[in-house]
Amino acid sequence: MEKSLIDLQGVSKSFDGQLVLDELNLSIKENSFVTLLGPSGCGKSTTLRIIGGFAKPDQGRVFFDGKDITDVPANKRQLNTVFQKYALFPNMNIAENIAFGLRIKKQSESYIRDKVNYALKLVNLEGMERRDVESLSGGQQQRVAIARAIVNEPKVLLLDEPLSALDRKLRQEMQYELIRLKNELGITFIYVTHDQEEAMTMSDVVVVMNQGYIQQMGTPQQIYNEPENAFVADFIGESNIVRGTMLEDKVVRIFGAVFHCVDSGFGTNTPVDVVIRPEDVELVDADDPRAILKGKMTYSIFKGEWYEMGIQTPDGYEWLVHSTENREPETEAGIYVKPYNIQIMNRPASEDEEAMSIEE
Amino acid sequence: MGKVKRVLSDCYLALIILFMYAPIFTLVVLSFNEGRSRAQWSGFSLHWYEEMLANDTIMAALRNTLVIALISAFLATVLGTMAAIAISNMHSVSRNIIMSITNIPMLNADIVTGISLMLSFIAFGISLGFKTILISHITFNIPYVILSVLPKVRGSSKDTYEAALDLGATPMQAFWKVVLPEIMPGVTAGFMLAFTMSLDDFIITHFTRGAGIDTISTLVYSQVRKGISPALYALSTVIFVTVFIVLVIGNFAPDWIRKRKHAVKKIKYLRTLMVSVLAALSLGACGTTEKSIEAIPTKDENTLYVYNWGEYIDPDVIDQFEEETGINVVYDLFQTNEEMYPVIEAGGVLYDAVCPSDYMIKKMAQNGLLTELDKKNIPNLKEIGTDYLKMAEQYDPGNTYSVPYVWGTVGILYNKRMLDELGVPYPTSWKDLWNPKLKNEILMQDSVRDAFMVALKKNGYSCNTKNPAELDKAMNDLIAQKPLVQAYVVDQVRDKMIGEEAAVGVIYSGEILYIKGELEGTDVDVEYVIPKEGTNLWMDGWVIPKNARHKELAEKWINFLCRPDVAAKNFEYITYSTPNVGACALLDKSYLENKAVFPDTKELLKNSEFYDYMGKEVDRMYNDRWKTVKSS
Repeated sequence: MEKSLIDLQGVSKSFDGQLVLDELNLSIKENSFVTLLGPSGCGKSTTLRIIGGFAKPDQGRVFFDGKDITDVPANKRQLNTVFQKYALFPNMNIAENIAFGLRIKKQSESYIRDKVNYALKLVNLEGMERRDVESLSGGQQQRVAIARAIVNEPKVLLLDEPLSALDRKLRQEMQYELIRLKNELGITFIYVTHDQEEAMTMSDVVVVMNQGYIQQMGTPQQIYNEPENAFVADFIGESNIVRGTMLEDKVVRIFGAVFHCVDSGFGTNTPVDVVIRPEDVELVDADDPRAILKGKMTYSIFKGEWYEMGIQTPDGYEWLVHSTENREPETEAGIYVKPYNIQIMNRPASEDEEAMSIEE
Repeated sequence: MGKVKRVLSDCYLALIILFMYAPIFTLVVLSFNEGRSRAQWSGFSLHWYEEMLANDTIMAALRNTLVIALISAFLATVLGTMAAIAISNMHSVSRNIIMSITNIPMLNADIVTGISLMLSFIAFGISLGFKTILISHITFNIPYVILSVLPKVRGSSKDTYEAALDLGATPMQAFWKVVLPEIMPGVTAGFMLAFTMSLDDFIITHFTRGAGIDTISTLVYSQVRKGISPALYALSTVIFVTVFIVLVIGNFAPDWIRKRKHAVKKIKYLRTLMVSVLAALSLGACGTTEKSIEAIPTKDENTLYVYNWGEYIDPDVIDQFEEETGINVVYDLFQTNEEMYPVIEAGGVLYDAVCPSDYMIKKMAQNGLLTELDKKNIPNLKEIGTDYLKMAEQYDPGNTYSVPYVWGTVGILYNKRMLDELGVPYPTSWKDLWNPKLKNEILMQDSVRDAFMVALKKNGYSCNTKNPAELDKAMNDLIAQKPLVQAYVVDQVRDKMIGEEAAVGVIYSGEILYIKGELEGTDVDVEYVIPKEGTNLWMDGWVIPKNARHKELAEKWINFLCRPDVAAKNFEYITYSTPNVGACALLDKSYLENKAVFPDTKELLKNSEFYDYMGKEVDRMYNDRWKTVKSS
């Protein structure tokens, strides 16, 4: 994980006058599992298509292993793609699908046979060479698609929401399979998804994107624990995002109550956004001295390991709380948050500025 | 509920069989009929099939049809598939525009497409022939291919193409290995559709064909006037059975293949099936293709272009002419005067000798489309009877433009035994068709001029009258006659009379010899009479169009046809009355005694007339009253 394998420099792309990527810079290290995460329309798939060679950037360059491949057609690039809807060739059986790339490269039949068998073993589909691809389940088709890509020994495997068509249980299984595959193959995976759980589970690096910009790039832990803006905080997991005022370093006022935090450097009396994860909101009795804010419980839902609850404070905001301890609705309770669980963010003047603020 | 559904679906099936398959079944049965009649079964025979195989015209038309259908379907499939792929990659706005543009020719009436193609060929100086038919068929087939390929292209995910590129295939490799196999069902369907559309097409072929080239459909149409030869029933049967077998194989084979679970083989199998069907068809087609392709007009100065009705000459006569004179004949057929006229007028094909009917000769002469004949180059003109020349002067004063070729009358055919049984005397007058004892026994011609001719002549009026009072009288007479009329028919009079389905019928004299021949050896006794009030005469004559390129050859041709031995031979083939007196001397006495074929011309000249073209106004006067008659 030292050398950068793929570099996008100032890549812009628009469709029908709509800007999809705006001067994007992205560097992907060798042997990493990088996930591009974001809502639909954020530009993640376009980024992948530009890397794969299926779309041409309007501006900017793409480098692969130090070489400019911006103008190299898709069929000449040393990377392979697993498509969202598998894109298996319906007129060929499993073995023929997998052998397609090798046949194009005119490999010997014995080499092809070995490679196909190896790939089938790798994706747990041994003995199914002759099956018709249309007779396979979604998960099996996905495995064939992966096998078809990896027999070509690409340096990079691009995966475009490969699990989105599978049911939940299968999706989880496939996540572990992908991690195992990546470790066995020792190549770079670039993975596109809108599912944050997938991103968190599998990735070394998560790139959160929105509106054509990279919002934050970092390890799953960084992304989750230290979202750099409200978008990331909101997109990754559930959050209470409330407005506050930074009174001075390490002191923030929320809904008229003073909270202690660990952030500084925002100046005095500065409006900010405050992010507090639901599991960090601690409920205490209303008359407990630790209670900073007081409110009335609104609902409680048993979720197995924890209760999801709501508590409304007098200003009208309903806080989302995750706790193992239940409190009945309509009862009074107090709110306490530990200083290091409070995340302070600059409040942008507009959404566009919110997007920009990360770029610097 | 289930029962009702069952009954309804049974009814539906019964209707389908009745309306769609019963006619085909009839055709198949008739193709095995010993005789020529459509009404009588005279025994099982394969001789129409032998005749079909031996008939050069039919086989050439079949070859042309298949070759054109194959080539046009193939090229349309290639072009249409390329277009479909291009269209599916367009923006939705331009795609909609392009699709509307390609759909218009399909919705457009064939006749408009046909005429506009013909006009553009002429405008660009492309001579009409094999290649213009081919171009036209490709043109009208492309939209059908696009329509059947496009949904497949759009339905197949773009992903598979990209996946192929991703795996290292070049765009061409991706197309052949991945895209084409995926859209193959659409491409095959498009090809099949184009092939059948091309096989079926009549109208567009008709307008874009040139001299000397026919497809099955134009050949069939050219025979309508003289009655379709049962050899064509045989051909239709063969075509139907072939299509049926291909359909059955196409429908059941894939199931059979699927059972074997060899998905890959499926497409390969279909491909093999298609290729073998095509190969079989083309083998059949190409067996002797040279002959049909050779029919494309050459620029030879020694070639004569003849334009005539179907079955209106003994084919041996053409061969004999070519042998004796060393002139090549390109022989072409038309079916109606109205269809021939614009061809001559537009000059799409430049014919040297044409054989229109009386009123059409008059119209063409008036519009300056004809050349005056040089009578000293046609010495055999003397063989044409003077009475006939006098007759012809009714439409061609001074016999300036035309030489009479074939002629005839309209009269009454009656069944002696049936009339005897009804106690009705044999007819001598049109008035006899108003005898109340003939209730439901009369067959009338289903054409406005022929029906009114009967009623007008009955009252002693001209059959070209423009007098509304006379027309009203005729109309009321026709309405009064209706209870006696079994049916107004087009060309079934002869079959119905042969089958003794009616006692009397109004009929063209040309049918008589054929009917007599059919009835030979039976006890059915029919006779033809020209009513004493006179009747309608018709006469077809040879003319030379103004734009003819080989006037001398045309005169040689006309002179040849006037030679008594040639005219006699033609008469025996066509069996319509000949105006050639010289030929009569060579004919069997029995013909000359037949008053239907050789009536007393002096008598006819007294009160019989040709139809005259009278203009739209008068046409409407006739048509309006005809509608009243038919609807009353």
